Formats: sequence, structure tokens, C-alpha cells
Amino acid sequence: MAVAEVSGLTFRYPGATSPALSDVSLRVEPGEVVAVLGPSGSGKSTLLRALAGLVPHFHGGRFEGSVVIAGKDTRRFRPADLAGDVATLFQDPEDQVVFGRVENEVAFGLENIGTPPGQIWPRTHAALAEAGAERLAERRTETLSAGELQRVCLAAVLALEPTLLLLDEPTSQLDPEGAEQILDLACELGAAVLVSEQRPALPLGRCDRVLFVTDGRIEIDATRDEALDRLPTEYLPRDAHRLPVDSASGEGDVLARLADVTFAYDSRTVLEGTSLTLRRGEVVALTGPNGVGKTTLAKIAAGLLEPKSGSVERRGRCCYLSQDPGRYLVKDRAEDEAALAVGGDKDRASRALAEVGLAGFEDRHPRDVSSGERERLALASVLVADPDVLILDEPTRGVDPPRKVELAAQLRRDANRRATLVVTHDLVFAGDVADRGIALKTKERAHA
Amino acid sequence: MSPVPAAALLASLAAVALIADRAWVVASIAAALLLLCLKAPRGRRWVYLVGTLGSALSVFLLSPLVSHTGTHVIWEGPKIPVIGYLDVTFEEIATAGIQALRLAAVGLAFAAYALLLDLDRLLQAAGFARRSVLAAGLATRLVPTLERDAAGFVEALRGRGVRVEGARGRARLLSPLLAGSLERALNLAEAMEARGFGRAGRTRAPSPPWTRLDRTALAAAAVLVVGAIWL
Repeated sequence: MAVAEVSGLTFRYPGATSPALSDVSLRVEPGEVVAVLGPSGSGKSTLLRALAGLVPHFHGGRFEGSVVIAGKDTRRFRPADLAGDVATLFQDPEDQVVFGRVENEVAFGLENIGTPPGQIWPRTHAALAEAGAERLAERRTETLSAGELQRVCLAAVLALEPTLLLLDEPTSQLDPEGAEQILDLACELGAAVLVSEQRPALPLGRCDRVLFVTDGRIEIDATRDEALDRLPTEYLPRDAHRLPVDSASGEGDVLARLADVTFAYDSRTVLEGTSLTLRRGEVVALTGPNGVGKTTLAKIAAGLLEPKSGSVERRGRCCYLSQDPGRYLVKDRAEDEAALAVGGDKDRASRALAEVGLAGFEDRHPRDVSSGERERLALASVLVADPDVLILDEPTRGVDPPRKVELAAQLRRDANRRATLVVTHDLVFAGDVADRGIALKTKERAHA
Repeated sequence: MSPVPAAALLASLAAVALIADRAWVVASIAAALLLLCLKAPRGRRWVYLVGTLGSALSVFLLSPLVSHTGTHVIWEGPKIPVIGYLDVTFEEIATAGIQALRLAAVGLAFAAYALLLDLDRLLQAAGFARRSVLAAGLATRLVPTLERDAAGFVEALRGRGVRVEGARGRARLLSPLLAGSLERALNLAEAMEARGFGRAGRTRAPSPPWTRLDRTALAAAAVLVVGAIWL
């Protein structure tokens, strides 16, 4: 019996003018690993939510066709009734955590599905061990890093021992090594896995089958080898360009210089004797594992944090793009949001919106746009100031591959106007956009 | 100590602080609770301590000015419309002192509950109204989340060269903070439903058995309240 069977599924969100999914049919066999690829807003997440029963039960809307999970028709069974057969790992771990302690968080799902009490703690600890998070069992969830929290969320779904595992961009906050570990763990579980990703190389290296979704329709449903011949080029795995790492002696004016910088959060030292020079005309990629201090270094360069020791020099205006586009939702209109950095100059705001492909969005509410459009709005909100030093923290998080290519081209086009620092886990993007790279390593001195 | 006896002990201390009429008793309770709160991580405790002690100080400073009791006048102030004379008497200061101590003790008991107790285990121990208790637990966790969100908004604005200054500047962030909380709440509700929340036949992970210390603490809580009422 198929783990999931979707027949003629068409779904429209409440108030939407066009359907998010149109006449989708597919069958998922036990143990199959399926990569779900496609542009932002194409319907990937909606498809995964339909398989979890969240569409239509949680979101409402108009639902036609049928979705049957392990013999249960989602029109008759609520998402909570499907839990255990199906488990979902969402993109943002912070929005999934219910409890303050890790082991209670993992046990929550087991309690909900009625697991016999004597099995709850053994299964909880086994899942934590499987996810490589056993040592976190007693920790408070608010003290965990993004990578640790995502492992805990993975343990919470592994504990349910589902037959269908749905992963909705589960690695967007993780470094390449952490992302590979999470996907390896999920794919080795033995369950059927559907994984949606914006770094296609990750699932393409592990899947049996590929679904490519555009405009709510499945455009490609093929084995991995067949799909590699048919996917748009932006989605094909490729090696990152190797970046020179020690060419700080460029020709442009020095716009930011950090020398022997040290920084600690309470008693935890994250930077020690770190130096960085940014020159006009260059794009620098800052990479390294989760928790190594990339964001801290970027914030020090932007003047948002003060180092404990060392010196910082900056020339001209510096703007910093946070890795969370949700931080750029202060105003009620997109144009007003973009105009904040230029004292309300709406002409400049409108031009900045057009530059990132959001022409015509001026009157839209910033919360009323898709996640990809939020990312562009956040970018417009800092680019509008035409800064001398531009610092972008994970600008490709949740961004689809074609948009990454556009973003890299845009940053390259304007590179001569400023010094640009890009903090990223996406090594392919780093290779495309940067002139040189700085790889921060744990508790080592970095000089660039 | 298990969270249920610990919560009972904190509640009894707060109750005694409200019932007792001797200032030294209330002051001792407030001091003990303050020492307890200082065991919490510095980054988390300051909001609770500043809020509680600030409120208590306000009560101490303002209530003598608006109350009209006592005969031993220490300071004679002007007459203010509606409020009347701003006289301060010895009795008013004594009353304000004990009210401020009571407020501090109750606030610090709540701070110790929020900062030091394992709220998850408290929830697990609740055999009834689990949804309400879960909602209370989530609401308690909302404070640090809102704090983090607010800091994130301010940082993103500073990253654009926009300064957020004064109460008015921060007040403008209330609406986006509220909208963000609602969005987060929806995401959390969706994730909870996907994990089976609300399904019939829920079970409960076994809690560790109570120790002698737990039983002693519960008994002490009962004795404290009864003693305060009786004396």
C-alpha cells in the first residue's frame, strides 16, 4: 500500500485569487525519498501541508480531490489524528517549540498520540540519540543554537516513528555539514521522506525521485537521474567556485577595518583576535560552521555590537541586513518600510523596491507578501540607503535558486559602489558573488 | 525539589506576605525571595527584579502622598485639586513601607516561579485543565520571546541607520511586535496540531516520585499559611 496517495488535488487558500495547487496527483511508496523542488511560492509547502492534513483543516480554503495517508483520507481525519503516521519538520525551529526543556519537547508528540507511559522516556531518549542530541536532553530550549534546536525538532519527529516524514526546508539555518547530517538522519530512518529544499544539491544527493513544482502544478515527476536532465540549470548541483582567502590587499579604499577583535557573550568567547578588512569594490564572503561567530563579526563590522577589545574603523554609511526578514515589518506599507532608512523619501523607496523586483508593491502590507517577497523587501530596505558598507547576513535563507542567481548578479553589478560583506552558509552562492572568502573556524584566529 | 512543592512553597510565602501584619516578617520573606531570585541567570532576572522592585519603590514613594491617615505629620505639602493636602505622616510611611514590602514579596515569588521552576514539569504534574496549564506555560515563555523580538526590531532598524529613542520610539514597535506574536502563535498552533495536540487518548510521561524534601516542602507550605492566618 502507498504511504501517500494524492488524486486530483486542487486547493485555494481563503481569499486567494488563484489556486496554490492545481490538479496534483502523486503516489509515495514506503521508504521512498522524494526531493520537492521549485521556486518560492510555487506550492511546495502547501503540498507538504496537504500531506499532513493541515490543508485544509488548519488553513481553511477550497479543497478538491483527495489525499490519503496510510489509508486515512485527510478530508475525514484531522492533522492530529494523522500524527504518528505522518510527521512534519518545519522551516523555523523556533516556531515549533512548545516546552522549555528538551526532553519534554521530544516527549510532547508521544504523549499526544497516546504512547504507553512506560515507552515515552525510552523512545524520547532513543530519538535524541538518533538525532545526535542526547547531550541536550536536560538543556533549556531557549539556550540552544539554531542547529541544536533543529536537531531537537528532528528528534521530536523521529520519536513518533512515522511512515511519512515531511521536511519543509529543514536545513535553512544550518551550515553545510549540519544540513547534510540532518538530511542523512532523516533519509536513513526508513520512512518515506518528502523534502523541500532551496539548496537543491542537498536532497538531490540523497533522493530516489524528484518533484518539480511550478505555479501549483507538478511539472516534473521523475527519478533522480531523469530529473537531472530536465531540471532548470539553476537547480542542478554544481561545485562552488573556489575563492581566494588571503587577498585583503586590494586597491579600493578601506571602508571598514577590524583589528584583533575579541567578543564574548557572558562567559562564552566567540571571537578572539579576529581581523577583517573591507575595501570599496570588493564582495567578501564570510563562511563557517554554526555558532563560530560570523553574525557577531558582521554586527561588530556594522557597529551594532562593540568588541571587548581590538579596534574598529569605519568610513561612510554602513547598513546591515539581518538574517530574519521578519525584522523588516515595522510599517504598514512596503514603500514606507523601504523609506525608513532614507528619512521617508518615497521616490528612492519606490526605486529600491523596483530594483529588487517589487515594483507595484508600494501599497502592499509587508506582512501580506510571500516569504520570498519579504526577503526582497528587507533587501530593498537596506539597499535604499546606497550604503558605503553593505553587510548581508544569510541573504539567501529560504530564497529559491533563480533568485539567488539574480541576487548575486545584483550585488556584483553594484560592487564598485561599496564594500560588501556577505555572511552565508551557501557556498555555491558565496562562490558566485564574492571576490574573496573568509572561513571562520572554531576558536581559531581569522585574519583577512 | 519537584516543581509542585516548590510552587506551593512560593505561593505560601506570597500568601503569608499578604496576610502578616508584622513588617519584619514581610521583610524577611521579601529578602529571602530576593536572594533566591539572584540564583537565576543575570540576563533573565533583571527584567523581573527591576519590574518588581521598581513597583514596590513607587508604592512606597507615592502612597503617602495620596493617603490621608495618621496624626504625626512629618511634612506639610501644598493643596492639590482632587487629591487634597500632600501631607505625609509617620503612619502613612509605615503603611506604605509594609505595602511596598508585600508587593515586593509577591512579585519576587512570581519572579522565582518564572525564573527558577521547571514549568514543564509543573505542567506534567497537572492532572486537570492541562490545556489551560499549557496555555499558562506558553504565556510565561512569551515574555522572553517578545523581548528577543523587540531587540531584533531595534537592531534591524539600527542596521538601517534608524535610531529608536525614548518611550515614543519604542511604543511604535508595539504594533509590529503584536502582529509578530500573532504570526508566531499561528505557526506554533499549526506545529502543535501536526504533532497530535488535541487528539483523544492522550497519555502522560511518568514523573519522578516525590522525595522526602518534596513532602517536607509541601507540609511547610501548609503550616506557613495556617500559621499566618492563626497568628
